[in-house]
Amino acid sequence: MEALVAFAQNLAGGLLIGGVYALIGVGLSLVFGVMRVINFAHGEFVAVGMYLTLLLYGYWGLDPYLCLLVAAPFGYGLGLLLERLVLSRLIDAPPDSTLLATLGIALVVSNTLHLLFGGEPRSLYVGYATATVRLGPVTLSVPLLIAGAGTLALIGALVLFLSRSEAGRAIRATAQNRVGAELVGIDTLAHHRLTFGLGTALSVVVGVVLIPLLFVTPAVGGTYTLKAFVVTVLGGLGNLAGAVAGGMLLGVVEVLGASYLAAGYRDAYGLVAFLAVLLFRPQGLFGRAVRRV
Amino acid sequence: MRRIGILFLVLVLGIPVAHAAPAGPVLGVISSFTGRFAEFGEQHRAGLAVALEEINARGGVRGQRLVLLVEDDTSSVTAALAAAERLINQNVPLVLCCYSSSITGPVAQYFTRQRRPFLVFTSSDDAITRPGSEWVFRINQPSSTYAEVLFDVFDALNQASGGRRPIQTVALIHGNGAFETAVATAAEGLAKGRGYTLVDKQSYDQGLTDFRPILNRFKARSPDALFMVSYAEDSVALMRQVKEVGLNAKIYAGGAAGFALPGFLTGARDAAEYVVTATAWTKDVKYPGAQSLYERLKRALGGKEPSYHAAQAYAGLLTAADALRRASLTDPESLRRALRETNLMTAYGPIRFADFRGYRNQNPLKMIAEQVQRGQFVTVYPQEAAVGRILFPAPPWDRR
Repeated sequence: MEALVAFAQNLAGGLLIGGVYALIGVGLSLVFGVMRVINFAHGEFVAVGMYLTLLLYGYWGLDPYLCLLVAAPFGYGLGLLLERLVLSRLIDAPPDSTLLATLGIALVVSNTLHLLFGGEPRSLYVGYATATVRLGPVTLSVPLLIAGAGTLALIGALVLFLSRSEAGRAIRATAQNRVGAELVGIDTLAHHRLTFGLGTALSVVVGVVLIPLLFVTPAVGGTYTLKAFVVTVLGGLGNLAGAVAGGMLLGVVEVLGASYLAAGYRDAYGLVAFLAVLLFRPQGLFGRAVRRV
Repeated sequence: MRRIGILFLVLVLGIPVAHAAPAGPVLGVISSFTGRFAEFGEQHRAGLAVALEEINARGGVRGQRLVLLVEDDTSSVTAALAAAERLINQNVPLVLCCYSSSITGPVAQYFTRQRRPFLVFTSSDDAITRPGSEWVFRINQPSSTYAEVLFDVFDALNQASGGRRPIQTVALIHGNGAFETAVATAAEGLAKGRGYTLVDKQSYDQGLTDFRPILNRFKARSPDALFMVSYAEDSVALMRQVKEVGLNAKIYAGGAAGFALPGFLTGARDAAEYVVTATAWTKDVKYPGAQSLYERLKRALGGKEPSYHAAQAYAGLLTAADALRRASLTDPESLRRALRETNLMTAYGPIRFADFRGYRNQNPLKMIAEQVQRGQFVTVYPQEAAVGRILFPAPPWDRR
C-alpha cells in the first residue's frame, strides 16, 4: 500500500513537472511550425519574463500572476521588434543564417540581462510558493498545479486561435505554402511577424508562470532552450498537442527514474527516452513523416 | 581588438589593468565574471579591489604600483585554460584562479606542467592540493573541512544531550559537480568514521531544479539530519521543496556554497530558518581587521552583503603581493620558494602553506558554522567565534 501511494505521488509529480516542460516547449514549437525558424533565443525570452516579473513585483508588489497582463503584450512587442529588425531580413537566406541570428539574439539578451541585473541567481518569494493541496494521500504543489492549468489553457487558446480565426488560418496557410498563401492575397510577412510576436509572448509568459517555482540567472536561458528542444522533438516539431504529450512523457520518465533508480542520472533517463523515440519514430510521437523526392 | 578588450576590463569590471608597458609588477587573476558563477565573480572583484587599494596605498610592491591583469573565464573551463595560456605567454609571474573547482582543477594541472606558481583562493575540491603539486598553493579550506565542521556540530549536539544521541541517522543529497561531490564523499567517510548511519545518498544534475522525487524517498527513511551540498540557485529550491514535501529532520545542514550566501536568506525566507551551514569566514571571526574588512567589502559591493568569497579574494591578493616582495619576478622557482615560506596574518585568517594528511601546500585553516535565525546568519560554532546559541532540534514544518 505504501509503495502504491509513493508511486502515485511520483506519477503525479512527473505529470506536473511534465506540464511545466510542455509549457516551455510550446513557443518554440509554434515558431518552428510556422516560420521554420529554430529559435535559439527561446530560453532567453523565458528569462526575460522572469526578470520582468521580479521588477514588477519588486517595485509595485504586483502578484506574479497579475504580471501576465503586462508581460504578454511586452513579449509580443519584443517579438515584433526583433522580427522587424533581424529575422525579416533573412527570409530568403539559407536556414543556417536564421539559426545563427537567433543564437546572436540569445547572446545579446543574456548579456544585457547580466549588465542590468548582475549574475546573482534571483528568485521571488510569494507566500504560496511552498503551498500544497492534498488529493487523498498525494500532496500536490500549488504553483506546479497553476503552471499545469496554465499549459492547458494556453495551448487550448492557441489551437482555437489557429483553427478558428482568420489570422490563425492565414498563419497556417503561410506555414504550409508561402507562395500559395501570397497568391491568395495573404500578407505572409505580416503573419511571420505575428507568429514571432506570439511565440515570444508565449516564452515571456512561461517565465512569469515559472518564477514562483524556480530561480533565474542571466545564463539560465540555455537550460530552457535545451529542454524545449527535447520536448518539441519528442512530440513532433511544430505540433502543439504533441509538445504537451512530449513534456508529460519526459517528466514522468525523469521522475520515475530519479525515484526508483539512481537520482543522479535523472537527465539521462529523459534523454534515453528521447533517443528511443528518435530511433523508432524519427518524426516524433505525433509528427507526420515527410518524404522528399 | 586588444584595446577593446582592455576597455572592456576597465569599463565593465572596473578593475585597473596593465597597459602595454606596466608601471609595476603584474599579477594575473582568472575568475567567473559572466556565466553561471558570475555572482561569485562579483564577490571576487570586490575582494580584489579592496586588497589592491590597500596594497598600493601602503607603497605597492617594492615601491611600485601593483597592477592586475584580469581575465574572465565565462564560467567555462575551456575559456579559463585559454586565459591561463594568454597570461603565461605574457610572462605574468603569478596567477590567482578561479571560482569553481571544476575549472580550477584542470587549470592547476596546466600550471604544474608549465612549472609556474599558481595560487588558489576559493576553489575547495580536495584533489587540488591532495596530492597537489609543488607549484599549486591554496589559502582557503579544502572541501573535506566543510563536511568536518558540520559533523563537529552534530557531535557537539550529541554530547550536550548527555548520552541520548539525538542525531544518529543522516541522509545526504548533493550536486554532481567536483566541489559538491568532494564534500559529499568527505561527509560519507565522516559519517562512517564517527558512528552515524547513512540512510540514503543521492546526487542530482544541475538544471531545472525538481528535488521532490529524492526528498520523498528520504521522507520515507525519516533521517535525524539532512545533509545538503548545493550551489547558490539549488539551495533555495531545495529548502523550499523540503518544506513543501514536509520532510522533517532534527537538523538541516548545508555544506556551504549556496547555503552561506545572502541570496539564500532572501530566496528561501521561512524555509531557510534553522538551516546550519558551513562557511569559510564571517565578520565575527577573531582575526585582526575582520570587522573593518567586512565594511570595506560591503562598500566595494555598493552596499550588498559580502560573502566569504570576497574575503578569500582579498586574502589571496595580499598573499600574492607578500610573496612578490620576497622573490625575483623573473624566476618562477624563487617565487615558488617565497610562497612556500609565507607566514602572514590577514583578516581572513593566518596564511601559511603546509604538508599534512596527504595535502601539499595547503593552508591549515578551520571552518565556521552559522545558523539561520530569524532571517539572519548567526555564527554558532566553534565556541570561540560563536555569537549565538544553536537552536536544536528544528521544529517540524507543520508546527512552525
